Amino acid sequence: MNDKKQNPTQTRRTFLGRLSVGFIGLSLFSGLWVVLKSLIPNVLYEPPKRFKIGDPNHFQSGVSYLEEHKLYIFKQGNSFFAISGVCTHLGCTVKFSPFNQEKQITVRGKEFTETGEFLCPCHGSKFHGEGTNYAGPAPRPLKWHRLDLAQDDGQLIVDIATEVDRDFRLVV
Amino acid sequence: MNLLPKTSILDKLLWPWRPESNREAGSAVVSSFLLHWFPHRISLRSLSLMSSMYLGTITLTLFIILTVTGVILMFFYVPSVERAYWSIKDIEFAISFGWLLRRLHRVTAHLMVAFAFLHMFRVFLTGAYKAGSMVRSARPWNWVMGVGMLVLTLLLSFTGYLLPWDQLAYWAITVGTNIAASVPLMGEQIRQFLLGGTEIGQNTLIRFYVLHVFFLPIILFALTAWHMWRIRKDGGLAVVDQVRKYAADNPPEIPKKSKTYSILGIAKGTSVAVNDPTTLNDGNSVPSSPFLTTRLLLVVLSTLAVSIILSIVFQAPLEAAANPEVTPNPAKAPWYFLGLQELVGYSALMGGVLIPGIAVLGLASIPFIDREQKGLGLWFTDSRGRNFGLLGFAYGLIATAFCVTLALLLPTRELFSGIESQFFFDFVNPASLLLVLFAALFLVVSKVSKSTRYASIATFCAFIIGFLLLTYIGTALRGPNWDFYWPWQAWPHHPITY
Repeated sequence: MNDKKQNPTQTRRTFLGRLSVGFIGLSLFSGLWVVLKSLIPNVLYEPPKRFKIGDPNHFQSGVSYLEEHKLYIFKQGNSFFAISGVCTHLGCTVKFSPFNQEKQITVRGKEFTETGEFLCPCHGSKFHGEGTNYAGPAPRPLKWHRLDLAQDDGQLIVDIATEVDRDFRLVV
Repeated sequence: MNLLPKTSILDKLLWPWRPESNREAGSAVVSSFLLHWFPHRISLRSLSLMSSMYLGTITLTLFIILTVTGVILMFFYVPSVERAYWSIKDIEFAISFGWLLRRLHRVTAHLMVAFAFLHMFRVFLTGAYKAGSMVRSARPWNWVMGVGMLVLTLLLSFTGYLLPWDQLAYWAITVGTNIAASVPLMGEQIRQFLLGGTEIGQNTLIRFYVLHVFFLPIILFALTAWHMWRIRKDGGLAVVDQVRKYAADNPPEIPKKSKTYSILGIAKGTSVAVNDPTTLNDGNSVPSSPFLTTRLLLVVLSTLAVSIILSIVFQAPLEAAANPEVTPNPAKAPWYFLGLQELVGYSALMGGVLIPGIAVLGLASIPFIDREQKGLGLWFTDSRGRNFGLLGFAYGLIATAFCVTLALLLPTRELFSGIESQFFFDFVNPASLLLVLFAALFLVVSKVSKSTRYASIATFCAFIIGFLLLTYIGTALRGPNWDFYWPWQAWPHHPITY
């Protein structure tokens, strides 16, 4: 056809070869993608992350443990706050161990009156009464969760998907 | 020699297993499907108990027992959160011999993990991961494959641990999957991918079930076949290298020239005697059938017998049904992960991700770090290697005990109480110190002995003893709240409410 010299490394055969390899790679990748994507659930049939826990007046002063939610609710006067009972190390449930006497402590630059401390049964992590880890392998303080009052019946609503600061108090 | 055709059906079926001559033994290996993976002849040194201790055979036997009992248990087990626990109860109490099948499955699972480790120790200590003088030997890659099979065995055991859906299962998997969450950046995504949700539930159970009964076993079966095939391709046990070396060093005497053969044009030398040092001869070997087959039969049957006896003696535990609201105290992983759990108690990232990762990669790369081709098939290579092994044992014992003592008496958080950075504590802790001490042992011994083999022996022995000591501490010396208790100290009473 023409006299131009063809580049011997770029023949039709090598081009088609590379194209085939590309297609095989692409189809393997898309197959893998389909499988992996199917394994990531789009719908979770899990309990809701925001739920009512009862009338604020029914909570006794001090600490109450909500077993089914792994949640510690603290009531001081008319103010409430909630601390998660899930250890930040490997997810075991921490136990609240009350002191005989209240203690005034300063943790991470804030004053706090602690009535006890949290202990983890799995790897011995220890947390102050306001959730700050001070011994053992736990990498982070325990989570604080947002509390709200329900519009309809005035019950406490806890939102375990939202983390709040240690200053958070819900005043009823 | 009986060359007459076999007459009775029994004779036709059984003759490969009880050959009456060397020639029949040879054709047995060729013509019988079950025998085709054996060599025609096997060296006496390979048959010797001390060369392999048949640890690999025992591991494979246990895997077969696990497959058989596992498939039968699949008829009774229902992988649903509502019914899983109660189907185990049925297996234990309602189904005829269900208790035996479940106990056998559990006992052999524990034994398989143990024997896979022992087999690895044997292969390492006899230097059987080295290529040796065999042409195209790929033993280093077979070792890498073996490390992969060990990891698969552990994963199989771990996925099976969740299935009873009792407290033991639930909390071991909680701890195990949260370790995955301590991977930097990707951690939480990996955990949720394993769980199929944000918490352990039906998705987790079915995932672990499918992995346990299909995915992992089929990969392990394929790798097992490949592993065995490679052993044949690489010339059998490593100790055969010594047989070959001996034959090469002691060539047979050349027969005196007495006659001229017409074959002279093909064969060099003065006679047709073929001087091939690799050939196993009548003096150093025996036919595989029946000398190897009977030994294997003995090993397989003993493994089965011991497993059954252990299953009758030891009950398989079944605690209360899984209860996410109550954490048992102490909550412990399966025993072979308790060494890791002890390290995880210092830092989840270092003990749960980095150290196991480095250990697996380190094990897999041994044949490529240590390329010295001497002493194949000999325990510790030689007497100097044995001394370095003992040094490694002693060093590993002291280093591990030192790090654990440090963790108990001087927690890093108290030592550096002014520092709040988690990054700092993930890298400065007794587990990291142990890693550094082991690396230092390798570097110092390789410097002193100028041999990567001796350095590997010392480090590996330190690794073995460190692994055992940490496992012992995690199993026996850790009580409620993961506090330390000596064996003679009683644990405080903790009321368990279900």
